Amino acid sequence: MSSEITTTAEFLSDDPVKRAPLVDPRLDYHSVTETVSAIAERPKPPKAWYAAFAVALSLTLMLFALIGYLIVEGVGVWGNNNPAFWGFPIVNFVFWVGIGHAGTLISAILFLFRQKWRTSINRFAEAMTIFAVVCAGLFPGIHVGRIWFAYWLFPVPNQMEMWPNFRSPLLWDVFAVGTYATVSLLFWYFGMIPDLATLRDRARSRLSKILYGVFSLGWTGSAREWHRYERSYLILAALATPLVLSVHSVVSFDFAVAQLPGWHTTIFPPYFVAGAIFSGFAMVQTLMVPARRFFGLEKIVTMRHIENMNKVILATGSMVGYAYGIEFFIAWYSGNPNESFVFLNRAFGPYAWAYWIMVSCNVIFPQLFWFKKIRRNLLITMVIVMLVNVGMWFERFVIVVTSLSRDFVPASWGYFKPTAVDLLMLLGSFGLFFTLFLLFLRFLPIVAMAEVKGVMPHDHGPKEKGAPESAGGER
Amino acid sequence: MHQVDLEAVRNERRHLGELAPKVIRIALGLGIVGVASGVVFALIGAGWRHFLFSYTAAFAYVLSLALGGMFFVVVKHLTKAGWNVTVRRIGELSAATLPFLFLLFLPILGVVLAGSGELFRWADPEVARTDHLIHAKAPWLNPTSFALRWVLFFVIWTVISRFFFKRSVEQDESGDPALTKRMEFLSAPSMILFALTLTFASFDLLMSLDAHWFSTIFGVYYFSGAVVGFLSFAILAYMFLQRFGILQSAVTVEHYHDLGKLLFAFVFFWGYIAFSQYMLIWYGNIPEETVWFQHRQSGTWAGVAIVLLFGHFLIPFPGLLSRHAKRKLGILAFWAAWMMIMHYVDIYYIVMPNFDSHHAPLHVMDITVWIGMTSLFVALVAWVGRHCSLLPVKDPRLSEALAFENS
Amino acid sequence: MTNGAPRTDPPLHGIVAEYADPEALKAAAARVRDAGFKKFDCYSPFPVHGIDPAMGIRPTRLPWLILACGLVGCFGALWMQWWMNAVDYPFMISGKPLFSLPANVPVIFELTVLLSAFGAFFGALILNDLPRLHNPLFNLSRFRKATDNGFFLAIDASDPGFEEGKVKTLLGEGAVGVEACYDEDPNEELPPAFWTAGLILFLVALVPLGLAMKSRNSTSKAPRLHVFTDMDFQPMFKAQRASALFPDGRAMRLPVPGTVAVEDVAVEGPAETGKENGAWLAKSPVPWTVSNLKAGRKAYDIHCAVCHGATGRGDGPVALRARELAEAKWVAPTNLLDARIRGLPPGQVFDVITNGIRNMPAYAAQIPVEERWMIVGYLKALQRSRNATIEDVPADRRKELK
Repeated sequence: MSSEITTTAEFLSDDPVKRAPLVDPRLDYHSVTETVSAIAERPKPPKAWYAAFAVALSLTLMLFALIGYLIVEGVGVWGNNNPAFWGFPIVNFVFWVGIGHAGTLISAILFLFRQKWRTSINRFAEAMTIFAVVCAGLFPGIHVGRIWFAYWLFPVPNQMEMWPNFRSPLLWDVFAVGTYATVSLLFWYFGMIPDLATLRDRARSRLSKILYGVFSLGWTGSAREWHRYERSYLILAALATPLVLSVHSVVSFDFAVAQLPGWHTTIFPPYFVAGAIFSGFAMVQTLMVPARRFFGLEKIVTMRHIENMNKVILATGSMVGYAYGIEFFIAWYSGNPNESFVFLNRAFGPYAWAYWIMVSCNVIFPQLFWFKKIRRNLLITMVIVMLVNVGMWFERFVIVVTSLSRDFVPASWGYFKPTAVDLLMLLGSFGLFFTLFLLFLRFLPIVAMAEVKGVMPHDHGPKEKGAPESAGGER
Repeated sequence: MHQVDLEAVRNERRHLGELAPKVIRIALGLGIVGVASGVVFALIGAGWRHFLFSYTAAFAYVLSLALGGMFFVVVKHLTKAGWNVTVRRIGELSAATLPFLFLLFLPILGVVLAGSGELFRWADPEVARTDHLIHAKAPWLNPTSFALRWVLFFVIWTVISRFFFKRSVEQDESGDPALTKRMEFLSAPSMILFALTLTFASFDLLMSLDAHWFSTIFGVYYFSGAVVGFLSFAILAYMFLQRFGILQSAVTVEHYHDLGKLLFAFVFFWGYIAFSQYMLIWYGNIPEETVWFQHRQSGTWAGVAIVLLFGHFLIPFPGLLSRHAKRKLGILAFWAAWMMIMHYVDIYYIVMPNFDSHHAPLHVMDITVWIGMTSLFVALVAWVGRHCSLLPVKDPRLSEALAFENS
Repeated sequence: MTNGAPRTDPPLHGIVAEYADPEALKAAAARVRDAGFKKFDCYSPFPVHGIDPAMGIRPTRLPWLILACGLVGCFGALWMQWWMNAVDYPFMISGKPLFSLPANVPVIFELTVLLSAFGAFFGALILNDLPRLHNPLFNLSRFRKATDNGFFLAIDASDPGFEEGKVKTLLGEGAVGVEACYDEDPNEELPPAFWTAGLILFLVALVPLGLAMKSRNSTSKAPRLHVFTDMDFQPMFKAQRASALFPDGRAMRLPVPGTVAVEDVAVEGPAETGKENGAWLAKSPVPWTVSNLKAGRKAYDIHCAVCHGATGRGDGPVALRARELAEAKWVAPTNLLDARIRGLPPGQVFDVITNGIRNMPAYAAQIPVEERWMIVGYLKALQRSRNATIEDVPADRRKELK
C-alpha cells in the first residue's frame, strides 16, 4: 500500500462541484472489515506494542504506588500548601477532563452537523475520551484528603444523616464528570455493539467467541434493530452535545464562582469549553497520526481527516486566543486594580515563564495551520499538536497557580513549587492513559466499521474495481 | 428520497420582481411612521432621553439581525456546508444592509460626539472628569475613539458583506466554482474580524451604557441573541417569499427543518450563555457586578426578567424540541415570530434599565420605534435584493442542497 | 433442553436469502412487504437508508420513553436538591438561600441528561429484545457475512402466510443464495457450573450486607477498626509537655514580651467576685427577670445538671453512673436543695460557680459572668419551688391546686 493514495489530488480536492470521497474509494465493505478487524485479531501484537505497553504499565504501577504513599502519608507529599491549596492535582484534573472533550465532540457534535468525515476517527476519539476521564476522575478523588470518605461526595444516606451541599460547584463537578463518564461510556459501547458483532462473527478461538459474543449482546444487524439503534444513537448524540458544553462549563464554575481575580470572569464557561475541545483535538491528533501509520489505516483515516482536525485546532485555538484577549481587555476596562494586577502578574510576574509557554503553544504556534502545506505535513502537525498539549496543561497551571499565589493580601503571597511526587503522578497519569489505550488498540475495533461502510459511496466488490462513484458522502 | 429537479428550480420564480417596490414602499412607510412616532412621543412628553434609549435598543436589534446574517454566510463558507445553499441569500442580503445601517447609527454617534451624557454617561466631559471609574476608562470610552471605532467597524462590515454578496451574485451569472473557493478561502479571516468587531461593538453600544459594569462574556451573549434573531428572521422571510410564489420548490421542508434545528440550538446556546453570565455574577456576589442584575431584578424589571427567562428559553426550548414542530411550517413560523419578539425583549432588557433602573418604562414608543426600525431593515433588505436572484442558482453545491434530506 | 444432543427433526425457523447490495435488499423487502408478510426482517452490516419504508417499519416510540426519563431526571433532581438542602438538612453556606435555583441548575441539567441517556441506551436494547444469548440465524455460516458485507432477508416460519416453497421463490428473485434456517437445538441452557457459581456469588454478596445489619442492631465495646489511622493519632504538641522543636524545649509558647492576652485583663468588681467589702452579695447585680431566669435555666441544664441533676438533688447522670460503678474515690455532688445550700447568699453561690469547690471545677472560663448570675437566680428559684408551701401560691389561685 502506498501512501500516495492519500495525497492524490482527487482525494483532497476542495472542488465545490464534487465532494471528495471520505475514505479511499478503492476500499469495499469487506476490505474495511478486514483492515480494521485484523488489528484486533492478530494472535500477537507487534513487538513495539509490547514495548509501549511495558512502559505504560510500569508508569501506571508507579502511579498506584504513589497513591498508596499519598494515603499513608497524607496530602503533604504534594506541593500544595498555603496559599496555593490547589496545585497539580486540580491542574491535572482540568487538563485530563479537557482532553476528554474531543471524543464526544467528534462523536456527537460532528454527527449532528453531518460532518461525515468523523466516522473514521470517532471510535478512536471516544475511547480516548473515556480513558482521559478515568485519569481526570482520579485526581479530585485523591485530592479530597481522606480518600476513604470520598463516597460522601454522593447523596448517599449515611449514619450522620447529612446531605451534600448542592450549592457548591465542587458537587456540581461530581455530577457533571460522573454523568459525562457514564454517558461517554454508554455512547462508546453502544456505537461499538455492531462492530463487536463483526468480531464475534469472525472469531476463531473459543474465548474470543464467548467474550465478543457476550459483549455484542446478540446483535444481528436487522433493520428493526438498526431503526431503533439509529434513533437512539441520534438522541444520545443530541444529549451528549449539551453535556460536553456543560462539563467543562461546570469545571470552569469551580473557579469562576469564586471572587478571586483571574478566576471570577464570566467568559470562563465558553472559554473552557473551547480550550477543552482544542486540547482534545490535539490529543486525538497526537494519537491518531502515529496509530494510522502503525496499523496501516491510511486508507480509512485519510490526509483529509488530519487536515480537518488541524483546522478545528486552528479554530478552537483562535477562540482560546480570543478569550485570553478579552480577559486582558476587560481586566483593564473594569477599572478594578486587583483584576489588572492579576493579569499583569501573569504576564510579567514570577510565573511569566508558564504564561508565555501557554500563549506561544496555544495561540501562536497553531497559527501555522493557516498554511495548507503545514496542515498536510504530518511531522510538523505532530510537533504543533504536542506543543498544544503542553500549552493547555500550562494554561490550567497558570489559572490555578497564579491566582492563588497572589491574592488580595500581599502577606499571604507565596510561590508554588511541585514536589517529585507531583511530577511523577502527572507522568503516572499518562501511563494509566496509555495502558488503557493500548489495551483498546489490542482488543477492540478501533474504527467504527459499520459507520464507515455507511458513508462509502457503494461497494464495488473486489472484482469490479472502477472509477469511484460521483456522489460523495452524503446519503 | 425526494429529488428536486434542478431545471425546475432554475426556471421557477426566484426574483422579488414587482414585489420589491411593494415591499419597499410598505416597509419604508411603516419605518418612517414608526421612527417618526417616537419623535412625536418625545415631543409631547415622553422626553428625548426616552426616545434615545428606545432608538438605541431598536438599532441594536436590527444591527444584530444584519450581523447574524453575516455570521450565517461566513460560517457556511467556513464549513463548506452544502445543505444551506438554498437559504443562504437572505444572509447575504441582511449583511449587505450593514453599510446603510451606518446612516441609522448616525443619531447615536451624533449624541456621543455632541458630548451629551444623556445616552452614554461617559460621553459627558464633566462626568468623565469627576467619576473616578469612568475617568480611568476614558482612554477607551471617549467620543473620539468611539467614533473612530464605529467607523472602523462599519468599514470592516461593509467590506466583508459586500465581498460575499458581490461574489455570490456574480456566481449567479458565471457559475464559476472558483468563486466558491475564493469565498471559502476568505471566510476564515472574515470570521476572525467578525468575532472581534461584534464583540467590541457590543461592548461599546450596550455594555458601556452602564460604564461601570463589565462582563467578559458580553460579546458572546450579544452574538447568541443575534443569531437567534437572524434565524427567526430568515425562516419568516422564506415563508413570506414562498407565499408570494417565489422559490416554491427550491426551499423545502428539509431546509426549514434544519433552520429550525439551528434556531433550537441557538435558543439553547443563548440560555447557556445567559445562565453562565447570570449565575457567575449572582454566585460571586461582588457589588460592582451584581448591581447590573440588581437593577434588572427589582421593581417591574423583575417581571421582564421572568418574561425573558420563560419566553426566550424555557418555553421555546420544549416548543422547538420535537421534529414535528420544526417540520410543520405553521408551528415553526409561530416560534420564529415568537423568538423575534423575545429577541427584542432581550435587547430591551439590556438597554432600558439604563434609562430607568426601577420601572420598566414601557411606552408605546418602545414598540413603535422597534417596529419602525425593523421595517426599515426589511425595506433595506428588499432594496438591496430588488434585482438579484433570491437563490444562488449556479452555486456548485446547489444540487446537494436540493437533494438534502434530514435522516 | 435435557442432554444437549441435537434432535432428529429440527423445526424450521425460517428462510434466509442473501443479496448482493443494499438496492437488491430494498427491492426484496418491498416485495415481501407487498406479499403481506409481517414476520420478516432484513439484515445488513450498516443501516441501509430507505429500508424502513421498504419494509413498512413504523417510527419507534423510543423518543417518548427518553423524554419521560429526562423529565424524571429533571424534576427528580430539583426535588432532591430542595428536599436535601432546604428541608431535611438545612444549613447556611456562603449566604446563599437554602433553596437556590441558580445553584441547582447544573445538577438538574446533569441528571436530566443522565437519565435520558439511560433511557436511550436501555430503551433501545429492551425494545430490540437484546441482549440475547442465541439466535437460530447464527446457525447459518453464511449469515456471518451480515456483519461484514452481506445483505440478508429472513422470513420467519411462524408468519401466518409462510409456505416454504412460495417463500423460496419470492426471495429467490435477485438473490445470491437462499437457504432454510433450522432451529437446531441451540444448547441455550447455560452450563450448571454457571448457576452454581452464580449462587455462590450471590450468597457471598449477602455477607457484607448481613454484617452491616448485625452491627446496626448490636452494640460493641471494641474500638472502631482502624484501617486508616485517620485523625486518631495526630503528631501535635500536648500542653505542658517538652518539645525538641523550640530552643527552650517547651511545647507551649510564651506570649510575645510586652503583650497581655485579652482574657487576662481581669476586672475585679463586686459583680465579678460576688463580694463587696468582704461580705457576700445578697442581691444579684444581674436582675432576675423571667427571661434571665429562663436563660439561667438553659445554662444550668447545660453546665450543672449533668452532676447536680435537673432538679438539683445531686442525681445527674454522671453521679448516677459513678454510683453504679461504685467508684471508691468519688465524692457525690452536693444536693442543692439542702437547707445549708438554700441559706447561702447569692454572692457565695456565684463564687462557687466561678472558682469551684472540692471536686467541682471552676466554671469561670466556660460561663460568662452575666450568665453565672442567671444560673444563681435559676438555682434560687429551683430551691424555692422544691420547698414551697401553700403560702407561696397567690391566694386567688390556690383553688386551682385542689
